[in-house]
Amino acid sequence: MKNRLKVLRAERDWTQADLANALDVSRQTINAIEKGKFDPSLPLAFKAARLFDMPIESIFDDGQEQ
Amino acid sequence: MNKATVNNHDQRLKKGSRVLFFWTLLWMLSVAGLVFGPKLMWDFDHTATVITIVINLVLGIKMLLVNKQHLNDMDDMQQKIHYNAMAISLGCTMVLGIIYGSLKPAGLLEENPNPSNLLFVMGLSYLIAVFINFRKYL
Repeated sequence: MKNRLKVLRAERDWTQADLANALDVSRQTINAIEKGKFDPSLPLAFKAARLFDMPIESIFDDGQEQ
Repeated sequence: MNKATVNNHDQRLKKGSRVLFFWTLLWMLSVAGLVFGPKLMWDFDHTATVITIVINLVLGIKMLLVNKQHLNDMDDMQQKIHYNAMAISLGCTMVLGIIYGSLKPAGLLEENPNPSNLLFVMGLSYLIAVFINFRKYL
């Protein structure tokens, strides 16, 4: 699953550690999500959406055409 | 955002690890008491042995509960890594356990299989699986 976490984080000048702390996960998990190696759970995706004040589909893209 | 902020998740996990280590250590000491106590400390006194078994059981249950809490404190990815490792460990122990158990009837082993050897397989396969899974996500 593609996502815009890295871009959104960079726009705010946050480090991976900052984002990890804000989402209450480990830095390694943020790194894995940014690299597309790990797909976050729905609660974590919602948490990220609330943090960036954006809809989930604006942050995460499963690549499926509607 | 404060860049010097300590990661609360990591801190919580470290504290959980310390608590788990403490209870695991206590449980292991009680196992040692159960294994060596009857012969070396209380000359096979049944009452002392039963008390040691009860203590061992209580400490074992506490250790399981602390371990469960520790797993709950992990984030999504860490939980996935450890749950995968548990599945692999369980599978390895089952497959190798059945082979190990059939060695004596097949005439390839003279002694009775020792169940504690399976704990070694379980622990080793769990550690290897955690290591491989962590590398997969790095």
